[in-house]
Amino acid sequence: MASLRIRFALAVLGSLGPLQAQDIPVIERTLPNGMRILMVERHDEPTISCGWVARVGSADERPGITGIAHLFEHMMFKGTKVIGTRDATRDAELNALQDRTMEEVRKELDQLREKLRRGEIADINDPRVRSPRHQQLLAELDRLVREQRGLIVKDELDKVYKQAGATGLNANTTTDRTFFHIDVPANKLELWAWLESDRLRNAVFREFYSERDVVLEERRMRVEATPTGKVEETFNAMIWQAHPYSWPVIGWPSDIATVTRDQADYFFSTYYAPNNITAILVGDFRTEEAFATVQKYFGGIPAHAGAPPKVTTLEPPQGAEQRLVANADAMPRVQCVHKVVSSVHKDAAALDVLSSILNGRSGRLNRELVIRRRVAVYAGAGLRAMKAGGLFYLGGTPAPGHTPEEVEGLLIQEVERIQKEGVTEPELQKVKNQVQAGTYARMESNAELRDQLAEAEGAGTYKDFLDEPAHLSAVTRADVQRVAQQYFVPENRTTLVVRRKEAK
Amino acid sequence: MARATILALLAGGALLAQALPPRPEQIAFRPLAFEAPRAAAFKARLKNGIPVYISAEPKGVPFVRLKVLIRGGAYLEPRGKEGLAALTGMQMRAGGTEKTPAAALDERLEFLAGDISSSLGETSGSVGMEFMEKDLQEGLDLFMQVLTRPAFAQDRLDRAKENVMQGMLARNDKVEGIAGGEMNRLLNGEDHFTSAQVTGASLKAITREDLAAFHARLLHPDNLVISVSGRFKKEAMLDLLNRTLGALKPGPAAKASPKVPAPAFQRKPGIYVIDKDVPQSLVRFALPGLRRSDPDWFAALLLNQVLGGSGFTSRLMKKIRSDEGLTYGVGTGFGDGAHWKGNWSGSMQTKNRSVAYALRLALAEIERIKAEPVPAEELAVIKDGIIQAFPAQWGRKAGVVNAFAQEKLTGWPEDWWADYREKIQAVTPGELQRAAKKYLDPGQLVILVVGKASEAEAGDVKDHPGALKDIAPLPLIRLPLRDPLTLKPLS
Repeated sequence: MASLRIRFALAVLGSLGPLQAQDIPVIERTLPNGMRILMVERHDEPTISCGWVARVGSADERPGITGIAHLFEHMMFKGTKVIGTRDATRDAELNALQDRTMEEVRKELDQLREKLRRGEIADINDPRVRSPRHQQLLAELDRLVREQRGLIVKDELDKVYKQAGATGLNANTTTDRTFFHIDVPANKLELWAWLESDRLRNAVFREFYSERDVVLEERRMRVEATPTGKVEETFNAMIWQAHPYSWPVIGWPSDIATVTRDQADYFFSTYYAPNNITAILVGDFRTEEAFATVQKYFGGIPAHAGAPPKVTTLEPPQGAEQRLVANADAMPRVQCVHKVVSSVHKDAAALDVLSSILNGRSGRLNRELVIRRRVAVYAGAGLRAMKAGGLFYLGGTPAPGHTPEEVEGLLIQEVERIQKEGVTEPELQKVKNQVQAGTYARMESNAELRDQLAEAEGAGTYKDFLDEPAHLSAVTRADVQRVAQQYFVPENRTTLVVRRKEAK
Repeated sequence: MARATILALLAGGALLAQALPPRPEQIAFRPLAFEAPRAAAFKARLKNGIPVYISAEPKGVPFVRLKVLIRGGAYLEPRGKEGLAALTGMQMRAGGTEKTPAAALDERLEFLAGDISSSLGETSGSVGMEFMEKDLQEGLDLFMQVLTRPAFAQDRLDRAKENVMQGMLARNDKVEGIAGGEMNRLLNGEDHFTSAQVTGASLKAITREDLAAFHARLLHPDNLVISVSGRFKKEAMLDLLNRTLGALKPGPAAKASPKVPAPAFQRKPGIYVIDKDVPQSLVRFALPGLRRSDPDWFAALLLNQVLGGSGFTSRLMKKIRSDEGLTYGVGTGFGDGAHWKGNWSGSMQTKNRSVAYALRLALAEIERIKAEPVPAEELAVIKDGIIQAFPAQWGRKAGVVNAFAQEKLTGWPEDWWADYREKIQAVTPGELQRAAKKYLDPGQLVILVVGKASEAEAGDVKDHPGALKDIAPLPLIRLPLRDPLTLKPLS
């Protein structure tokens, strides 16, 4: 469930116009343990969109435990001391026995890695390379897992929510935050508070070893079995030299397979602390009543001494223009990426406006590359601004008879035109009109508003989201020209060219 | 009381320890009454007979959303012109109008931050608009142009065709792309319209005149149903609609769309395998199903929810994902059979060598639900889930009127939802088991596997031995990939 959202100004309608932050009546409270609560009361539908966001993502990992933030998101659905088991004591014993067995398995894997290093085997995951003891340990692990399964109340969290009429139970992990959300009927807020505070207080990581198989299947589905999944992973690793954004949110497969429970425990106690979490409620409740409920359930979760460690690596300036040429079972295409700024940086709004002017049916790229020159069947731009930095994408798919390189040249040319001549007043006005409409659109759905507040809390605070219209409406033509000049230089560029693999 | 506590806290006072219920079942909830919305309450009719489902929200956000649903689609394409419906749908909006050329339309819509979109699918399509309330007049004028007088500009059609061509070339890139078309052919036969995909030749054969004729034929009041919602007064909006859409008369070429033809095909149950070099196979399976109007519908619906239709709570997900870690997701559903009996179909992705074992687990669950009645508690979770979540499915008014319009277009009875919850509640374990025996006959299964055939067919030799051909008494048949442009089998 790793989700990486690209912020297209058009799609997300970050907004402008004379509207002020108070147009969305967010009530903010902080519990004594540091947990923040955001509430938006509205009574158009008999449901409440609930969620909480932990300020932790793949950027908080390190080599060896990549993917742990996402694996952890999965573990948070496995129950607690109360939910998900018929016998908490034996359940805990079986967890310990599994850990011990796994420790032995890891020794076997160490040996296999050594054999791999010496070229004696080709694939560490091939069942045929396992020693008899290794196979025996796996059988033992399997036996313990099956015994534990006899005590497990399968997916009880899901069951309790479902029976109450809650919908859309899910979570997702990005580079910077992990978000757990659900929509409940208006009379069931207390159920949400019970189940979520229980997860934060009493989590038990059951099925810790079998769940990684699920994650490995998820990785196959999202990355390995898609035409360009692995290419995109390589591309991303190339863009970020030093910053932890360089590894995929879902993690490298060898790390996913070897994460230990100790590492997971440390992760939980460090990052899933109330002072690192914001809860968000949008929908049909009375604010004071809802707050009393939240306080009753979450207020007793102990605070942590000290804040979680910060990501301190700063991405160094790129030394040279970079290029990745891939052959894949996929449409030829090109993607030029320039590293830009964090979502809370003062230049983010101008870059957002620039991407809107380039993007869309009447945007410069479509008009010039697709309609007028007929060199591409698609050409677009997008800004993906994250907590520690951002990427500005220029992308295109060549028309029949044209090459990705031709498209690439024209994409860059369009940005160069803006560097030289700037943008026009009507172009800027168009974006501002869209943003004006967006100030209403972004408030329409309880769930979408909750998601956007969570996103903002993951990268900064919800106020950044409220201020977005004002920031965007303040952008001038000179700002757009300046950011085009500042960030779109060859040595800040990484380009991906995909060519269709020749049929064998 | 709550307020006093907060004040005490803010003053730095200690929080009174409140006893929390030890289990969630012990929480008492206040009742939540919810009346199912009735289609009749939203319904009106324009002077030329077009039905309208309207929701006026004078205090809502300042948008107006209008959608005209169209009965008709790919099933009306002449042979040799496959792809015509989709192109017509796309180009109504993308090709500009007689009065407003495409570039001007693109520019104006984005300047107004409004949107007009059009599309045609297999059996139906729509033209929709979304504007700020202040731009309603201009927006509706542009919308009417798109709906009634599209220009189908040649240069934009050429662009669109190139795009379709690129999409075609990518047909075999993704396992989903391969499986989709092939499953239709296996279930409905090569000659049914659901199997008639665009080819290089048919794309070439489609002309601007074809688009214009296809559009002209559909533009008949009998083929249209409208939904509209947003910030307006109901009477004023109906007045406006009557002056525009209500004035629509069938042109000389317009025809009421005929009934959608059911496939006349005797499917051949089996395990079909298409070889593609990927580390994970896509597995699809299907059995003959029923229609929403069948007396068994509610029993079948609950059967599916227990077996594979309700995410983590369903048995297939528990077994194949949670217990065995073989897949990220497995899901099943009964199609509601808008035009003919639907299918019970399912899908999952699992590493090649696990395909046989995962399917064996799925087949065992099918046998189990036929052999043993579903325990009352398990059935209660499923029933409560549907009944308690009923209000959520009616979310926003735009969604409500769209749903009613869509049902009207299909021809489902208008009072369907009125006693829906009661019908769900009434299903007994016995009825569910009868439905299981009636609809879940593994001998009728069509299974399609797209993945590395050698590995999928061999099965998991080490941990769960068993070859794919031995999972069920069904023939194992290798299917070739097809040429992406001709759809002819590749040797």
